[in-house]
Amino acid sequence: MKDPPELQLVALRVYDASSYVTELERNMAASVRTLALRALSDSTRNIQHVSRCRIKHLCCRAEITGRRAYSDSTEGRSTHFGFQTVPEEEKAEKVYKVFENVAKKYDVMNDAMSLGIHRLWKDTLLNTMNPQPGLRLLDTAGGTGDISFRFLEYTRSMYDRQQRLRAKSHQTPSWQDIADHYVSDKAGPPQSRAVVCDINKEMLKVGKQRAEKAGIITGLSWVVGDAEELPFDDDQFDIYTIAFGIRNVTHIEQALQEALRVLKPGGRFMCLEFSKVTNPLLTRLYDAYSFQMIPVLGEVIAGDWKSYQYLVESIRKFPDQETFKEMIEDAGFFCVQYFNLTGGIVAIHSGFKL
Amino acid sequence: MLCMYRNASPLWLDMAALIRGLRAGRALRGLGGVAVQGTLSPQCSNVRRGFHRAALLRLASDSKSDTSVPPPSYREVHTAGESSSSSAQGESSEDAQPNTSFQDQSGEHGEDYETEEQLQARILTAALEFVSQHGWTVEAIAAGAETLGLSSASTGMFNNGAGDLVLHFVAQCNAQLAETLAEQNNQVQLGQAESKKTGEFLKDAVETRLRMLVPYIDTWPQAMSILLLPHNIPDSLKHLSTMVDDIWYYAGDRSTDVNWYTRRAALTGIYNTTELVMVQDSSPDFEETWAFLDNRIKDVVNMANTAKQVQATGEAVVQGLMGAAITLKNLTGMNQRR
Repeated sequence: MKDPPELQLVALRVYDASSYVTELERNMAASVRTLALRALSDSTRNIQHVSRCRIKHLCCRAEITGRRAYSDSTEGRSTHFGFQTVPEEEKAEKVYKVFENVAKKYDVMNDAMSLGIHRLWKDTLLNTMNPQPGLRLLDTAGGTGDISFRFLEYTRSMYDRQQRLRAKSHQTPSWQDIADHYVSDKAGPPQSRAVVCDINKEMLKVGKQRAEKAGIITGLSWVVGDAEELPFDDDQFDIYTIAFGIRNVTHIEQALQEALRVLKPGGRFMCLEFSKVTNPLLTRLYDAYSFQMIPVLGEVIAGDWKSYQYLVESIRKFPDQETFKEMIEDAGFFCVQYFNLTGGIVAIHSGFKL
Repeated sequence: MLCMYRNASPLWLDMAALIRGLRAGRALRGLGGVAVQGTLSPQCSNVRRGFHRAALLRLASDSKSDTSVPPPSYREVHTAGESSSSSAQGESSEDAQPNTSFQDQSGEHGEDYETEEQLQARILTAALEFVSQHGWTVEAIAAGAETLGLSSASTGMFNNGAGDLVLHFVAQCNAQLAETLAEQNNQVQLGQAESKKTGEFLKDAVETRLRMLVPYIDTWPQAMSILLLPHNIPDSLKHLSTMVDDIWYYAGDRSTDVNWYTRRAALTGIYNTTELVMVQDSSPDFEETWAFLDNRIKDVVNMANTAKQVQATGEAVVQGLMGAAITLKNLTGMNQRR
């Protein structure tokens, strides 16, 4: 593992002065090295590919440049992983490892980092969603199932409330009403169903354990799947949610298109995600808290500094509210709007497939 | 709420142009709804995107019947923008035509392009049928959406929930009333019908409008309470005032003094009180309500006549007093110059 001394020096100079720099330095140096090697190999691959293209297709340069510009990820495009730059196909693996490491302590860490406010955010998501009983929810990147549990709880209580209102207005039913009631009762309440889909099996395992502990048996399924390529047919779900998951997806546009595909007409796409803080004073406090406190908490509680460093950095890399709204509109959703929570720390984006 | 401006009565022609401009501006902001916190960005790409987002929903696979040609520079910029977004493969064919139909705002042509607003209006109209079953609630909107083939999750489009449904219904009724009044006015001008006296005209107009509530009269108190919620008051007041204005306009009121205000205030009072009476009226075909309305209108007309008489009398009295004062002055000799 001998880095050439020049690369080490570059890494040292590039990074900011901070006492917790050493691990990140090593990471930076390693990634710079892998990048350099990969760039070399990719450029040779590209040259070969292009020459093959020129031999095979005698068509215009535009197509070749088009290919090179819009080629898929196997041609060496890179993306961000926190503040690092990694090749695209590596990002998915790295994210998988991050969540594999944090799965057991995920809920505890959520409570510690957000001081419990993440529960309010998720409750607000459900209130904004206002689901009627009998709908099907797809909870992508659902992991430990927070949103799905809340969804089932909400629809159950909404159904009970509707029944109570109906009973109140039917205080003196006629004999005909009572007879109809007996006949129709065989159907039972409309069952709301939630499907939790996550790419990471560890997170799903933790979620299943939580479900068993909470005693939720019916109406919940656990599916392993990639948000960029969902294992479902078209027009299946009424509501698609992705809570704190979309910034980990490598190709966000693809995830949005998949969401559009699996939603029924009239279905709703909802995304709960960290976003740009609008208040400048709050920004300073928030940045200080994110970069100083959260990795420390991660190390102390979960024993994992790097994963929480990634978390904080990936938040900064995610597009802001307006940009993300435009991305959702580009994917084909209508009536797109967003709601800022806690001063913009978190935003709920919502769009409809019409 | 904008549909009431569709009848271009002379009073509203300039307003209609203004509203159309406002509507285009709103569409450019993406029709995002009340909760959007972004401001109108001056960037070209945002305007472009908002423009075609605000437009269209393709309900049929083809049908590009509204083909007003967009300005070519716009289209070039548009296609350049589209090719630059990598995820737009399936989108480019669909988005190639949006601005054309957006310029044609005259409503749907069967299964053609329609705007988000039109779809929302359709859902709310469909939801009105379920009001007797579910009340003025989000469940009614959900049932309405389901009849149109949309999932009931689409009720999330209506940020105001039941308030949206009630306001849509009120706007619809007001539009219908304005149409009826305009038609009657036409007939009078063509000489096919007799013009009515003011009192009778007002009575007929208010009765026509209140009769539209008859199918929903059981749940109307709930709707009234929704209209009185603080965040709905501006909109409901706007609907009420434009309706009253329409009625007085067709009744022939062209006043430009304080009478304009007093007349509308009087009619607003009459309408509201009659509505309240109607809600708890159990007589056949609401006879008592119409009798109440009759009496109130007579009161207002009497009041107007009395006011005129009082004014005339007052003037006469003042003149008499002036005459008496001058006579007194003459008698006592104070008028003479010494």
